[in-house]
Amino acid sequence: MTVKTASEKMGQGVGFERIRRITGYLVGTMDKWNDAKRAEERDRVKHALKTDA
Amino acid sequence: MIHSIIKRDGRVVLYDQNKIAAAILKAMEVSGEGNAADAARVANDVQLELEKHLTTEAPHIEMIQDAVEQQLMNHGFNSAAKAYILYRANRTRAREANTSLMKTIDEITNIDARISDMKRDNANIDGNTAMGSMLQIGAAGAKAYNEMYLLRPEHAKAYREGDIHIHDFDFYSLTTTCCQIDILKLFHGGFSTGHGYLREPQSIQSYAALAAIAIQSNQNDQHGGQSIPNFDYAMAEGVAKTYRKSFTRRLREVVEDYLDLEDETEAIADIVARVEAATGEFARLESSKVYLDGIIDALMSKYAMSSEIAAKLVDRASKRSFKKTNGDTKQAMEGFVHNLNTMHSRAGAQTPFSSINYGTDTTPEGRMAIRNILLALEAGLGHGETCIFPIHIFKVKEGVNYNETDPNYDLFRLSMRVSAKRLFPNYTFLDSPFNLQYYVPGRPETEVATMGCRTRVMGNTYDPSRQIAYGRGNLSFTSINLPRIAIESKGDEKAFYKRLEEMLELVAQQMLDRFEIQASKHTYNFPFLMGQGVWLDSDNLSVDDDLREVLKHGTLSIGFIGLAETLTALYGQHHGQNEDMQKKGLEIIGFMRNYCDNKSKALQMNITLLGTPAEGLSGRFIRMDKKRYGKIPGVTDREYYTNSFHIPVWHPISVYDKIRLEAPYHALCNAGHISYVELDGDVARNVEAFEAVVRCMHDHGIGYGSINHPVDRDPVCGYVGIIGDVCPRCGRREGEQIDPEKAAQLKKMYPEMPAFQGIE
Repeated sequence: MTVKTASEKMGQGVGFERIRRITGYLVGTMDKWNDAKRAEERDRVKHALKTDA
Repeated sequence: MIHSIIKRDGRVVLYDQNKIAAAILKAMEVSGEGNAADAARVANDVQLELEKHLTTEAPHIEMIQDAVEQQLMNHGFNSAAKAYILYRANRTRAREANTSLMKTIDEITNIDARISDMKRDNANIDGNTAMGSMLQIGAAGAKAYNEMYLLRPEHAKAYREGDIHIHDFDFYSLTTTCCQIDILKLFHGGFSTGHGYLREPQSIQSYAALAAIAIQSNQNDQHGGQSIPNFDYAMAEGVAKTYRKSFTRRLREVVEDYLDLEDETEAIADIVARVEAATGEFARLESSKVYLDGIIDALMSKYAMSSEIAAKLVDRASKRSFKKTNGDTKQAMEGFVHNLNTMHSRAGAQTPFSSINYGTDTTPEGRMAIRNILLALEAGLGHGETCIFPIHIFKVKEGVNYNETDPNYDLFRLSMRVSAKRLFPNYTFLDSPFNLQYYVPGRPETEVATMGCRTRVMGNTYDPSRQIAYGRGNLSFTSINLPRIAIESKGDEKAFYKRLEEMLELVAQQMLDRFEIQASKHTYNFPFLMGQGVWLDSDNLSVDDDLREVLKHGTLSIGFIGLAETLTALYGQHHGQNEDMQKKGLEIIGFMRNYCDNKSKALQMNITLLGTPAEGLSGRFIRMDKKRYGKIPGVTDREYYTNSFHIPVWHPISVYDKIRLEAPYHALCNAGHISYVELDGDVARNVEAFEAVVRCMHDHGIGYGSINHPVDRDPVCGYVGIIGDVCPRCGRREGEQIDPEKAAQLKKMYPEMPAFQGIE
């Protein structure tokens, strides 16, 4: 085990992973998605459980 | 006098009139007019003509070719002139294809996939790795060849210009898309992977390991995904084998311990064999009374013990075997999931694209397998990561798992708890009328299974006695750019349908051309898929047989994209905005389905309609249409066309309405369909709310559906859930470091946390 020095850069430069469904399947983290699918994911709106009266 | 000419690449070479004559003679031979003397005469006139107009020292090759065309016509060799022009055009196209191929390969070689959109066309291939790049270079070369040599010019044009999209075009001349693998049939008697022979598995661990190997082997014979339609039924057999072996062993242990004997291996084996022979039963998770009584009697007479003692020992052995079998099954299922997320195929560029269907086996063994695969999925990978593969598909069926009183209702509930955390399983609904029509209780092959992306194969026009999921799959699919047909029709409904029908005809013809190539392949081209009898009826083939007849069990599917944009282009609104548009939408898709059904009947083949899983395609058509027609509001003003028949992702709508509006299209798209619902993360984690959505899908006749919700993970502290700007567990923002002391504290609270970045 190699431990880096004291004031550890623990997590520096490390992003969050965001897993989304691409078509029927999942893709781990979105940096492998093509541009069009990224745009589509960005535009997705949540669906409300209740119908608006 | 002409002494030299300039070639296309700028080189200057000596002029040779014989070469011109030879080219002219070739055109004459093709068209059947003129002879060598004629060719020489025309070539001579070409030279005279060139010398007349010559301004520079050496003429360019294009100038010479222009002159040849002119002189052929002047001499009345019109057919030969035509042949020559066609030859020239073809050569030009080939040259352009070569240039663009080299450019493509250059991009694959030199550009980072994070920058190159082309290299991220399929998110399942890592375009930055050596093998991934090699795969992409091969694909680019195959595509260039296929377009030049295999497509009819009208199909090549439609494909090139974006009227249609031929999916998996790189594999055009090589293989078919996918297959539902009946692994029980494969396992019985053992099988060969193409690289080595494996004996029939004898425990749940080997059932799970060989299932993964079967998926990996098949992935190298086809270009699409691999699915197991009967995962629970198959694993149940492995569970039963493990239990049976375990019971004999535990029984020996308890007897030895109780009576303080050294080694009763043979005696116990003998007892078990005799009772099995006498009762026709063997030890199982819930052994029959007659079997257990048989064992108890045998113990009493062999060891002169009371019935109470014998019964107690049998009970103890049963309990221990149960525990052991459950532990083995848990490990086997975890191993299976780990394997499918880490094993490589297709020269290491891809993890196998895998799906498993389960949920309907109500035997204790099947239930044990289902519970443990769900728990393995819930637990995630080594650091709690969400598993990407396999795609889990839970089959929902009334009387089996849908109602509270159903035997597998508890597993249905568990599946929703897991899906609320991990996005899988997806749900397929066997009660929807278009699925129910095939369902025969007690025959799992009649339960609709899906290839995880959405492909569905069930009906069989070619052989109506084989309307089953097992051993069948899609052969190829081609999608239509529906919005473009609508744009071109300029609001004229009649013109739209006329164009649509022409396009359907063109696509059907193109897929039939492709089928001819596929049908002329041989068993030996598919050592696993056909050689091991995975594909329906391929076990009747010999090595050198062609595949025409057995392939007819598969489907040729016509896909489409962008119904919403199509409706907007034609009528001004989409089907999420207006009930009349829903009617219009169903008419369009109904028209396409009708075409497919008629074609199927006429050809005695399976031509089916697909709600295309657009990944690479989502941006391809619209980029071209934007260039052609400009930005049309609601049609070409985004970066993607809406997936199949979906309500646009950006359109605000309730869960209920989305499901209600999309469900009727599931009935029409018999080659596959999927609907998604986007839930807020907190709502999704409420199992009651989650179940309400799944039940809504079931009750509206959805065929295949899944619920999307954000699943984020902080790789630093291992938190899985929803992360906004700040991680709720460790409090860092994206890219920020955390204090090592705080990390140590967190590690105490969450022992499952991964080893921290910076510590290896």
